[in-house]
Amino acid sequence: MVEAAARRPPASSPSGPLAIRVRRFGEITKEVLRNPTTTIGLVIIASLLLMALMAPIITEANTPDAYQMPRDWGAINEPPGTPGHLLGTTSTGGDVLYGVVWGARTSLRLSVIVVGITMVVGTIMGSIAGFIGGKVDEIIMRLVDVLLAIPELIFALAIAAVLGPSFGNIIFALTVVFWVKYARIIRGQIIHVKHNEYVDSARVIGDSKLNIYRKDVLPNSVTPVVVQATLDMGNIVLVAATLSFIGLAEAGLAEWGVLVSEGQAGISAGRWWASTIPGAMVFLWALAFNLFGDGLRDVLDPRTEGR
Amino acid sequence: MRTRTNRFSRFHLLLIVAVVLSLVAAACSSDDSTETSAPSATTAPSSDTTAPSTDTTAPSTDTTAPPDDDVNNPGVYVHAADDDPLSLDPAGVAAGEAGETIILQTYDRLVEIGPGGPDLIPGLSTAVPTVENGGISADGLTYTFPIREGVTFHDGSTLTADVVKFSWDRALEMDLPEGNSSILADLVDSTSVDGNNFVVTLKDRNAAFLNSVVTAAVASIVSQEGVEANGGVVAGQPNEFFSSDVIGSGPYTLGAWNRGENIQLDVFDDYWGEPAKLDVRIEQVPDDDVRTLGLRAGDFDSIETDPTFVTDIEGAEGVTIFAEGWLLEPVHIGLNLDIREDLLPDGDTVPADFFHDPRVRRAFNYAFNYDNFVEGGLSGQGGVVPHYLPQGMLAYDDSLPRFETDLAEAERLFTEAGWWDDGFEMTVLVEEGGIFEVAGLVLKDSLESLNPNFRINVAAVVEVQFDDAHAAVPFEYATWIKNADPFADPAALFAAYIHPDGEWGDVHKFRNGYQDADGIAALIEEAAVSVDTDRRVEIYQELTQLLFDDPMWVIPGNEKALMAHRSWVQNFTMNPLWPRPSLKFALFDK
Amino acid sequence: MQIREYIIRRVMILPLILVGTSLIVFTLGRVGGNPIAIYLEHEMTPDEVAQIEERYGLNDSLPEQYFAWAGGVLRGDLGYSGVLAAPVMDVLPKRLAATLELSVASAIVAVSLGIALGTFAGARRNRLPDHLTRVFAISGAATPIFWFAIVLLIIFWVNLGWFPVGRSEPEIFESISHPTGVYTLDALLAGSFTAFRDAIWHLILPAVTLGYGATAIITRMMRSSLAEELNEDYVDAARAKGLPERLVLRRHARRNALIPTVTVIGLGFGFLLQGSVVVEIIFIWPGMGRWMADAVLRGDQATIMAYVLFTSILFLVVNLVVDVVYAYLDRRVVLGS
Repeated sequence: MVEAAARRPPASSPSGPLAIRVRRFGEITKEVLRNPTTTIGLVIIASLLLMALMAPIITEANTPDAYQMPRDWGAINEPPGTPGHLLGTTSTGGDVLYGVVWGARTSLRLSVIVVGITMVVGTIMGSIAGFIGGKVDEIIMRLVDVLLAIPELIFALAIAAVLGPSFGNIIFALTVVFWVKYARIIRGQIIHVKHNEYVDSARVIGDSKLNIYRKDVLPNSVTPVVVQATLDMGNIVLVAATLSFIGLAEAGLAEWGVLVSEGQAGISAGRWWASTIPGAMVFLWALAFNLFGDGLRDVLDPRTEGR
Repeated sequence: MRTRTNRFSRFHLLLIVAVVLSLVAAACSSDDSTETSAPSATTAPSSDTTAPSTDTTAPSTDTTAPPDDDVNNPGVYVHAADDDPLSLDPAGVAAGEAGETIILQTYDRLVEIGPGGPDLIPGLSTAVPTVENGGISADGLTYTFPIREGVTFHDGSTLTADVVKFSWDRALEMDLPEGNSSILADLVDSTSVDGNNFVVTLKDRNAAFLNSVVTAAVASIVSQEGVEANGGVVAGQPNEFFSSDVIGSGPYTLGAWNRGENIQLDVFDDYWGEPAKLDVRIEQVPDDDVRTLGLRAGDFDSIETDPTFVTDIEGAEGVTIFAEGWLLEPVHIGLNLDIREDLLPDGDTVPADFFHDPRVRRAFNYAFNYDNFVEGGLSGQGGVVPHYLPQGMLAYDDSLPRFETDLAEAERLFTEAGWWDDGFEMTVLVEEGGIFEVAGLVLKDSLESLNPNFRINVAAVVEVQFDDAHAAVPFEYATWIKNADPFADPAALFAAYIHPDGEWGDVHKFRNGYQDADGIAALIEEAAVSVDTDRRVEIYQELTQLLFDDPMWVIPGNEKALMAHRSWVQNFTMNPLWPRPSLKFALFDK
Repeated sequence: MQIREYIIRRVMILPLILVGTSLIVFTLGRVGGNPIAIYLEHEMTPDEVAQIEERYGLNDSLPEQYFAWAGGVLRGDLGYSGVLAAPVMDVLPKRLAATLELSVASAIVAVSLGIALGTFAGARRNRLPDHLTRVFAISGAATPIFWFAIVLLIIFWVNLGWFPVGRSEPEIFESISHPTGVYTLDALLAGSFTAFRDAIWHLILPAVTLGYGATAIITRMMRSSLAEELNEDYVDAARAKGLPERLVLRRHARRNALIPTVTVIGLGFGFLLQGSVVVEIIFIWPGMGRWMADAVLRGDQATIMAYVLFTSILFLVVNLVVDVVYAYLDRRVVLGS
């Protein structure tokens, strides 16, 4: 509520025909890649995504459920380099390599679903609030305030605890928690556009609300929404891992957070691999999306432009 | 001005590099020299007078150090627990609840379970009643306890036989639903005082009265003056004072209870017996990794030990793992013979009478991979339990029949019962984390690898969800996993877990499945009241054979009684018959 | 005038938000779980269950239960905490003080580190030090706290023995009185150097763990606003006057760049609150977060309600203060320039 109110970026110029947009996209890409940290972020993201997509090729999918860890009960706590277990095994005989590779897929699945749903829900709620205004706006925005006042992790924790820790319920809990930011961005943009002169002139010409929405609001919201979505891609995996640590994770799921908390006790006994390797994956995932989102924000947010 | 800025940055970078390097170096060096650094590191975190920087100075500067400076927290025994009491009132604490251990240390009972095993030793009664010493009447109904003289309570009042009677009557009158007074009420017909003797008359003969009832927390003796000065006795209402404070006669007084942080017990100087040597602090440490780290660091003298992390502390410098005897709470996989199909989780395909067929129950017992559970779940610190007597209990014998993984037999039984080709899907309810989740995963892998048509979903839920579902009637899952309540005597165990009309027999409707429910019930009831130990052993062993043919549970395994502690603790012992953590701190020194 | 209206508006909304949050949490708890599950034992008869339900007023209808709770809150009674076996109001002040102490200490770490790093990076935009700083700061936000905390404990507690866990050494803690509940403050009030050192000693590891996570937010804001300030005319003017770059940075640019940085402290505070759950569990810190996690896992309704109520208030108050401070500072900037 504060950071946006304090310094709202002025809306970038209304977008023109496709050619201009494509050219602008090219410019942005070039700009983004000029920053080495953003590029590093992008490279890490690309490799993680590649790993997630190639998971069935890298390791043979477990049956019947590929997202469940395969457990080799005869090979418990084996160190990296063990034949058949390149990165070692966990205390329940789970193959760390499998957990790392399919954990990337789990993270991808989780974050894409949650970000997808929250973007849609947030956009709809924000649009309703912004366009209809009045009492509806008041109700929705107070709901947003309420949800923002409860720390994300706590709220997700409470929901997931009540529903039971299955993968679907974790997704649901995170969705409930993460949509509000998008609603605020969209609503803010609508209010902003509403007050802008060019919309007034559009209204005089007799443009429909839908047209204003399509032509002015959405293009101007893309920037902050994309930035927020990028950051969320990283943070959702981090929050999910934290939920796993507290004890809310589907049993036996190939998920990094589960592996980290399972393997933590072994670190001081010298069995670092079972938690450190998946821990590094969570770190890389969150770091990469944050670096990329941060770089994107630098470029797209005109405030910091013009060196 | 450029150079200035650059120097500024170089300085910063240098600083960062230096800090990082020193951290890495510190971490590495201490890794390399664990043996030598372990004892010296002990002085730093706990000793209040030495600054951390003096850690590196020569030991000769420690001239003011007390003689036992080689241990952390001298004079205080620190135990790291994972569970805080709900109440400290003997009348208000449930069996298995964390308050029981505080009651064990701070109150006395008429007789106590000794440190060595199931044998009883005198407590506030100067003798353990037997038929031979006249303490138990010939008909087995009347017990006489000669009350010890010269016993003082923490508030200075004196113990008499009347106070004993008052204590027992108090628990019976309060009759708190969360308390355990029903074990008294079920057996005791009347209590009376005869001179310096306390006399109990039972409704019926009972073999387990002394072992399971007189030694229980609910039978602890409280100060009558203390009760009367603090709210008296109100039926059905918890006593606020005694819920959070203690006036007993035990070797410890309650120093402080900082809820959710620690409980401090102070040595009671006027204790009638051998006084305790160390004060006690029980720290609440919710994360088990932190408990093991604290043991390594030497800040905890013993920790609540889960078998899953034994391999994480084995071989740590200055740490000993106590693993003698058995926990008497074998892990159980419950099979519901009263499945309500409409209540089952989505996806479950098992019908209401799935477990009515003994072949299916036997097939589960043959399919389960016991070795995987004992190695992966119990770190090898456990064993397979015969149906149905855990190791360490009366009548246990190595030769009793027990299930072993036999996939061919499992396949044959599933085929005969008609499930092999069609398959089924079923959810098993467990509490997340720890050995129960592992048992669930072993069950899943055992059955799914046996036949791809079998699907087991492990619903690992948080404590509240598990407790809620576990207490629900009708039960909403086809199977669940938890350990049995610890029972000192097979009578209580069989009544709760095997009897067709017992606690679980009633919930899971064992009568739907037992071939000879009445026969089993009759044997259990006979053994419960018999005072002839040989006959009891005979009955329980006969039942074991019956239950092997007609099992109501899958028993993944029984845990060793396990406790990791600092090697500097002297006289360390634990008895699984004492309430968790099964320690009597008054016996220890360091 | 505007500021006052703004404050009044926000304060007026506060109760509304509190009712909203408490309603959501109340419904969530009652729909999904049995509020007395913590007391239930399998062998209890239905009569005994009913007796417990009656004791905790669970036989009433849901709206009645909610109003009973809300009425209690107005009288200063937040109910009974099952996991701590005590009335919430008996244990809450101590817990709240512990969490506030940790949060403030972490905030000090985050803000000082964030401003230092942000200044460092902002003055060297798009050069290697800038990039390294960014990676370092964002690493804090990207590291799984629970893993980081354990690694710190292994190094500094187990292997080196430099730092303890917990909040205090019990004997030292008990040797002074605790009028505020904030250990460092109480130690200072009591004039006890031993207690103060004990307090700081226990604070360092958890505060660094938690503060490092929140550093990225501050660093980012500081860096970009400093970069912006450095483009301003007055900076050029100062440079033209021959003022050394370091003084330009210190006297002019950094001071002004701090102002927008204030706005993200509220955001950082939210991060600290949720990070405190994990940090308190691992460092055995007796605060609200650990209490809350325990309450969620064991279904302690009264605690969850109290926690959400107080964190909402804290969060809103912090943001309100930040807004006001910013508005105040910003006006001065306008006046000053």
